[in-house]
Amino acid sequence: MAIGTTIPFTAIPWDDALFVLLAGTMLASALAVVLMRDIIRCGLAMMVCFGALAGIYVMAGAPLVGAAQVLIYIGAISVLILFAIMLTQSKTAPGRLAFQTQAVPAAIAAVVLLLVILLAVGSTAWGGGPERGDTDTTAVATGLFSDFVLPFEVVGVLLLAAVIGGVFLAKKDRATPTDRSE
Amino acid sequence: MIRVFVGTGLAAVFIVLLGLIGLAAGGSRSLNAYLTLSGILFAIGMFGFLARRNAISMLMAIELMLNAVNLSIIGFASFAMTPAFRADGSVIALLVMAVAAAEATVGLSIVLAIYRNKKTPLVDEYDAMSQ
Repeated sequence: MAIGTTIPFTAIPWDDALFVLLAGTMLASALAVVLMRDIIRCGLAMMVCFGALAGIYVMAGAPLVGAAQVLIYIGAISVLILFAIMLTQSKTAPGRLAFQTQAVPAAIAAVVLLLVILLAVGSTAWGGGPERGDTDTTAVATGLFSDFVLPFEVVGVLLLAAVIGGVFLAKKDRATPTDRSE
Repeated sequence: MIRVFVGTGLAAVFIVLLGLIGLAAGGSRSLNAYLTLSGILFAIGMFGFLARRNAISMLMAIELMLNAVNLSIIGFASFAMTPAFRADGSVIALLVMAVAAAEATVGLSIVLAIYRNKKTPLVDEYDAMSQ
């Protein structure tokens, strides 16, 4: 049984409805990341935001990037950030003062930047193809291992260096007497 | 119980209202919608980076900005003329993700190292340079 292109009994296309849902979830959870006071909830909202963004990648015709988004961001980076939150938040210093004193100028600057971006987007003729096209995953793999093989290797070395540097930085210093809170 | 239902309903209305921004910018078949979403996400991330006190919140805001850039890369790529350019856009987005993972690793370990010395994650108490 085939599903029609529109939602039954209405004239709304499925892809518009899905896009509204994903975009709204992404923006609402991004706002929750920067506005909520409990930082653990901020981290969980960030996972929701990345998940909705993976859905938007799939709608944009790049399913491989969507899958990589789920694996890397939701699976790795969010967990890393949640562990760092749990390591650095002490009970005596809760997030009751979540914002700097410069929050209002920061909000004004963000709104001004948003208006400039929207003006630039709206007033530019981008050219390009008239229709959205799907990405061929085989072509992505071929490009990654032929044209982009040098950046691919460099990124691999960069990740190795970053992980070694991260271990070195986060390692406990023997010389200073610190509590064994880990 | 009634508060849960009202709160969920209000959140759903808020999500749909925010999503209508994307539809008003052209829906999933226009480049402007992706670029608008990307710009809004970048502005939200910039506000978070400038306004939050917690160092890890600032790192989360940086992740949001990196994702906004990735969204615009994917948006541009999926409206490219030829299929080869679309594949190149996906490759670039994957490389950006790998660099973001490296950035998160180093940033979080720096925050952990500072926390071990200063016993606070709040950035406005890192004032050793101003004394």
